[in-house]
Amino acid sequence: MSEPLVRVRGLSKRFGANTVLDGIDLDVARGSVAVVLGPSGSGKSTLLRTVNHLEKPDAGFVEVDGEIIGYRCEGAHLRELSDRAITRQRSRIGMVFQQFNLFPHKTALENVLEGQLAAGVRRRAAETRGRELLDRVGLADRERSYPRQMSGGQQQRVAIARALAVEPELMLFDEPTSALDPEMVGEVLGVMKDLARTGMTMIVVTHEIGFAREVADQVVFLDDGRLVEAGPPGDVLVSPTHERARAFLSAVL
Amino acid sequence: MSVDEAVRGRPLLAREGDEQVLGARLVARRKPGQWISAVLALLVVAGIVKSLVTNPRYHWDVVGAFFLRPSILDGLVLTLWLTAAVLVSSYLLGIVLAVMRLSANPVLSSVSAVYIWFFRSVPPLLQLLFWFQMASLYPQISLGIPFLEPFVTIETAHLFSGLLAAFVGLTFDIAAFAAEIIRGGLVSVEAGQTEAAKALGLSKARIFWRIVLPQAMPAIIPASGNLLIGLLKGTSIVSVIAVQDLLYSVQLIYAQNYLVIPLLLVATIWYLILVTVLSTIQFFVERYYARGKGARTGFWRLWRGQLPLVPRSRPRRDLEVL
Repeated sequence: MSEPLVRVRGLSKRFGANTVLDGIDLDVARGSVAVVLGPSGSGKSTLLRTVNHLEKPDAGFVEVDGEIIGYRCEGAHLRELSDRAITRQRSRIGMVFQQFNLFPHKTALENVLEGQLAAGVRRRAAETRGRELLDRVGLADRERSYPRQMSGGQQQRVAIARALAVEPELMLFDEPTSALDPEMVGEVLGVMKDLARTGMTMIVVTHEIGFAREVADQVVFLDDGRLVEAGPPGDVLVSPTHERARAFLSAVL
Repeated sequence: MSVDEAVRGRPLLAREGDEQVLGARLVARRKPGQWISAVLALLVVAGIVKSLVTNPRYHWDVVGAFFLRPSILDGLVLTLWLTAAVLVSSYLLGIVLAVMRLSANPVLSSVSAVYIWFFRSVPPLLQLLFWFQMASLYPQISLGIPFLEPFVTIETAHLFSGLLAAFVGLTFDIAAFAAEIIRGGLVSVEAGQTEAAKALGLSKARIFWRIVLPQAMPAIIPASGNLLIGLLKGTSIVSVIAVQDLLYSVQLIYAQNYLVIPLLLVATIWYLILVTVLSTIQFFVERYYARGKGARTGFWRLWRGQLPLVPRSRPRRDLEVL
């Protein structure tokens, strides 16, 4: 097996007295899709947010493409990187949020431009790429629409195009369909499936078991901050060994 | 059995006279109170207009003669650029203070809080006099690190002209209020916006100027409009330290010719014009920052039916008293 793109080792995080992540170990192979399942409050989102340093770990580390995220190892110390270095690391990791978080004062196309302009891409080139991406998520005709003028499903597709615009090597999805009306879930999952087919490495937090079964190369199950089950969907979804995972899956299936 | 009963399967009680009620026209209640108060209001307006026109002591001819005098126009220019300079510097300082106030660092946050407390508490006129008298408090000002040899030393008497005292005093005063307005706008922006921008690889400065501040503007502008109008008029206090603004230029003239009322009118009319222009600009800036919220754009569509001199207000029938 080739070197994994993402390596998580001994990752722990607490908020006050509450331990949210407790010694997580995880590898995500290049070009593969990892789906993270678990009951709410099990630490799924926090795990995802630690991968691009929106949360700082209390112990352990996340490594993407051989680089530790957010820190520099100096002998016995992990020193936090400068804002600029962290910004550079983040620009290689795309993220899609549950609440979309599109910029409401910018049109669909302007949203897709923002990350590219920050990365120093010329406006003309950024616009060309932005239109391509909007076309790819099926929204070529909405480039001048503001987020409030679009449905939730459309907004989330713009958010995916926005994250892809900076040409990330890893995409993080934090419950991308949880805030959507049921009829719009399909269009967003469709875009994500297309993306997986192009060989994008993805970590997806979701409750869509069907998506996990169909697209995931690896399903991991978190419970109370611990990774209790990991493996191919055929194993984890069909015959989970951990009791909590069994109970959760029988409840959602 | 009536037709209704046959169709809907339920009996309806028909009463004599129903036909007449159904055929009657609806007549709204008269509102004599509104008519009377509207007539009274018109009478008051008519009285004011009549006295403005007929009272010879207004000396409208003198108003006309002095309205475009070079010395008054010079004062007008000074008022305008003092307002503009104070606006720019106080808002830059205000942004810094607001960001400090929201900082997790307790020193930065407290320094900002104390600044705002102090300068909101001291009347601007008093502050102005203080800055003007700076030379008697600090004959010299030295720049450097406390307790160490200073880098430069300046004689204060040469430093604080009336105009500089006015600029500094007004800037410090307005910045304290601006900081609070800006802080209120910044906290109204959702945390998710900053996170999304971080995840896209935007730098901190870029996130602030391109993502957070533009979204804070709709909350900042209405209050800032009031502050700016207050500032424009507030610059007239510089007349007490002999800075030749619009008001002081007028005072200089009537000190010689004793035509006090018409010259005060000249200043009044100029202030009316300036504030009208500012209110109009504010109206369009507000609309600009409302983009993405389904706001209408385009000059005439915006302008139609609007009188942007005072904040807009739709009639509220539920609040009707008269």
